[in-house]
Amino acid sequence: MGFDISRIITLSLFAATLRMTTPILFATLGGIFSSHTGIFHVGLEGLLDIAAFFAVVGSVRTGSPWGGLLYAIVACLVASLVFAVVHLEMKANEIIVGLAMNIFATGLTNFLLVAILDAVGFYQSPEIIGFSQVNIPVLKDIPVISELLSGHFPLVYFSFLFVLIVYILLYRTPFGFHLRAVGEKIEAAEAVGIDPKKIKYIGLLICGVLCALGGTFLSLSYLNLFSENMTAGRGWVALAAINFGEMKPLRSLIACLIFGFADALALRLQQFGLPSQIVLMLPYVSTLIVLIASAISRESKKTTPSKPQKGGQEVEAAV
Amino acid sequence: MKNNSLKTPFKTRLKAILVETFTQVANYAIILLLSLLVGAVVIYLTGKDPIAAYQALWKGAFGNWYKVTDTLDRSTVLIFSGLAAAVAFRTSIFNLGLEGQLYIGAFAAALVGFTVKGLPAVVHIPLCLLAGALAGGIWSLPPILFKLKWKVPVMVPTLMLNYIGILFTSYLIAFPFKDPTAQMAGSPVLEATARLPKLIQGHTVNIGFPLALAAMFLVHWFMFRTKMGYELRMVGYNPDFAASTGLPVNRSALLAMMISGMLVGLGGSIVIMGFFGRFMGGFSVGYGWDGMMISLLAQNHPLGVLPASLFYAALANGALTMQSLTGVPQTVVDMVKGTIMFFVTVQVFSSAIRRRLSTWVSTSAE
Repeated sequence: MGFDISRIITLSLFAATLRMTTPILFATLGGIFSSHTGIFHVGLEGLLDIAAFFAVVGSVRTGSPWGGLLYAIVACLVASLVFAVVHLEMKANEIIVGLAMNIFATGLTNFLLVAILDAVGFYQSPEIIGFSQVNIPVLKDIPVISELLSGHFPLVYFSFLFVLIVYILLYRTPFGFHLRAVGEKIEAAEAVGIDPKKIKYIGLLICGVLCALGGTFLSLSYLNLFSENMTAGRGWVALAAINFGEMKPLRSLIACLIFGFADALALRLQQFGLPSQIVLMLPYVSTLIVLIASAISRESKKTTPSKPQKGGQEVEAAV
Repeated sequence: MKNNSLKTPFKTRLKAILVETFTQVANYAIILLLSLLVGAVVIYLTGKDPIAAYQALWKGAFGNWYKVTDTLDRSTVLIFSGLAAAVAFRTSIFNLGLEGQLYIGAFAAALVGFTVKGLPAVVHIPLCLLAGALAGGIWSLPPILFKLKWKVPVMVPTLMLNYIGILFTSYLIAFPFKDPTAQMAGSPVLEATARLPKLIQGHTVNIGFPLALAAMFLVHWFMFRTKMGYELRMVGYNPDFAASTGLPVNRSALLAMMISGMLVGLGGSIVIMGFFGRFMGGFSVGYGWDGMMISLLAQNHPLGVLPASLFYAALANGALTMQSLTGVPQTVVDMVKGTIMFFVTVQVFSSAIRRRLSTWVSTSAE
């Protein structure tokens, strides 16, 4: 094909990796909160979709990307509250509610796109005010590092900062301890006076806020537009990252970076004349590979103790 | 209601059956009315007349004989994907990959349809359908094999294969099988012998619809009247129990997934062979996703898939007419669908009705 690796693997590819990691990372951190309370949240994709849409609406209405972010957060909080009430109060299956939320989100955004913005499937306008890039004072003068780390959108820095915040919140605060207790041993948590329902509500709402940040990044950074399917499965990719990271923020970050790199590489390779349809499979194929790799490593870890293996192993297989 | 003892008096049992029937009917009536009401409020809020909009919707779905057969045609693929979802969900396998399996199946059918030449239609059509079913079935297998081999959760891989499958078919029609004469991205036109014959002259509905009905009864028979179907349901109901009683859990999972993929692959093939006549990029407007909603609406019961599919088809066709006649955007229907999904998920009404009626049953038992 006549291109060499050195032209593909460049500093700007790694800078793009950080950028493409951001939305997945936010959704992953959000999903980590709900996962720790024992809720497998399939509705992340829908939350990202809702956030991306309302961020655009908010940006147009308020004339500021931060206004857009506020709209997105409010929308995601409402959606998460509905999820919480339906799952926790009405006892509906979390997976069905999550799927319903994704479908409802598609319907809602498609409809409101026509009703509010008078557009079908796609909305782009100079009225959408996106975030602008931030140059970090000292970093921007250092040659290599400036290209890699400076000049990103604010939410990119936030997302990586949030990895630390989430880590501290989960492992260094009483709240994090309560949250993990509810997910790991609900009876024990109840016995020491923790209200599991309250914790689950809080977990789901935090998840909503983090997904709002991720969705806002999708529509108000880099490309200022909203389009149908712009989330492109990132909510599901985030679930794979949580699975890989075993709900730990730092480990999940590694998976997010892999997926971000695959995304960035796919964008990059398209410019080299490779068929876009094949190249765009890259993020999804890499997600599959990471999922399988983490499952295999978990299996090999598990087989070391000489526990009688009967039935139990096969059982999980069916679900 | 539970009939837990043979000693239950006949009268009470009869009442229990009546209660269950009434509960279901009332439940669906309330869900339907409330969802349409939500749609009406939304239409009203956008400044349009909801009654005129719904009249146009009805006209578009069942207004005349042509519209009725159009709706039947539209429901065909939905029945297939609804059945596909029902078989998987009944076995507790969240096959979210229906959309990808549909595309792969449809492409395989089209491939046999435009490359194989000189066959009579009676051979060519079944051959295409077989190719579509097999391709859909095979495409559904990797996630379940990953699950059985390494315990990878099924949901995310099935979903990833949606994207991969759709991208792959769009690659195939953009490069190796590109038809340079096609206006939109599409495969070459199918041979005439691979096109599904029309059921009625001048109407869109083709033999795919009776095939869908046959598939529905076959799936029902399989799930409720055969040993393998029983195993599938038991595995879905309680995998631990199924395994401890020696039921083939792994085989059932594999079988359910394969059947699911084959059914939805058939559905895709029929759209291509019956309606489009060539494989088109993006031809499915979420048929796979609709199938999942249809199955949930039908409480994963094969026979319930028919009314649910007809309802969805009517909404889809009616919405087009509604948009052109009254200017109400057809995406309103997505809102109605979402609301239905919400009420079905929550099941508030059926449990409330049941609670009211259960007092009636218990008092009569004394």
